[in-house]
Amino acid sequence: MSLELYTTASTVVIATIRTVAADLAARADFDLDSIDDLRMAVDDLCAMLVRIAPKDATLRCRFTARSERIEVAADVDVEDGTEPPPTRSFSWRVLECLADDVSAEALPRELGQRSRMRITVAKNAATAQQL
Amino acid sequence: MTPSVTSVGTEHGEYAHLSPLQRRYAGLAADDPERARLREQLISGYLPVAEHIARRFAGRGEPLDDLMQVATVGLINAVDRFEPDRGSDFFSFAVPTITGEVRRYFRDHGWSTRVPRRLKDLHIAIRSTLAELSQQLGRAPRPSEIAERLGLPVSEVIEGLQAGEAYRSSSLDEMLGSGEGKATLGEFIGGLDGELALIDDREALRPLLAQLPPRERTIIALRFFRQLTQTQIAEQVGISQMHVSRVLRQTLAYLQEQMAGLD
Repeated sequence: MSLELYTTASTVVIATIRTVAADLAARADFDLDSIDDLRMAVDDLCAMLVRIAPKDATLRCRFTARSERIEVAADVDVEDGTEPPPTRSFSWRVLECLADDVSAEALPRELGQRSRMRITVAKNAATAQQL
Repeated sequence: MTPSVTSVGTEHGEYAHLSPLQRRYAGLAADDPERARLREQLISGYLPVAEHIARRFAGRGEPLDDLMQVATVGLINAVDRFEPDRGSDFFSFAVPTITGEVRRYFRDHGWSTRVPRRLKDLHIAIRSTLAELSQQLGRAPRPSEIAERLGLPVSEVIEGLQAGEAYRSSSLDEMLGSGEGKATLGEFIGGLDGELALIDDREALRPLLAQLPPRERTIIALRFFRQLTQTQIAEQVGISQMHVSRVLRQTLAYLQEQMAGLD
């Protein structure tokens, strides 16, 4: 199952996007910690992308639910030469704790298009039983 | 949000006649027959103070009658616990006591938007299963597991969980609330040096963490440095997973806002 959202890259849409993420996770029967983690991770990754996006940029989010795992790949238009978010920052540390896999990549610029930056997070349905 | 103490305080004159009663009441033995009469007199005498505080919290989705009752409970506690020998004025003791009682009420009952009764009840039912299920499973339950426990369809549980999103207490109260955890977790900042060394913006982060109230700091440290789950943190700190979730979201939003502002 996959679902895509296209919005303007603005902080006002983040609440909607994270709610979609949490709803998908609840319907995929994720445990409550994982639902909440995914909600926060999506909130953070959208906030990171909105922060680096120029005015009028488009934010695109693709949710892919497989059994026991949801992947959220989001990207925005960026100015040429924008660096991916630093992976040794606190924000990145937070994302890594919330999600099971996190990555960022600058997408190669296509003809007539702007450059894009993508952040992908993936979350598993149940927290590993550590301790 | 914070009822002004001064506006109550300036009316002290009205209550001056109660001060000697207060001292007498505090001095009486627990079984003195005069206690009950004095107590009643004090409570009804100070009742306008409770009402004043209740009114300041009105218009936040809870009926004034309920707020009055809660504020009165706070007043009764204040009358019973006040010790004039400590030298402080009754008002500087009573106002925070009453306000605290009303805030606790909002923490337990506050819904930020109108949510139908059925969904509130559903949400409360869900909450009531969480601690036990988490304990049995060793992790937070899934909606299907809650549904099975309650004998409800999963779709209803999901609806109830979403209703829970509309439930939240005042963010300010949560930020300022005192940690009442069963575990004393101590200072985490010093112990975090190893983890912080891996973070390039630690110099910006460190003072922000240091400023957080101890409970907020502990929860952030346990989640993002010790990598415990919300359910494990709830267990350690002695609050519900939903409460951990709210603290995390608010504190994280605060930290990130501050960090972004420092760029």
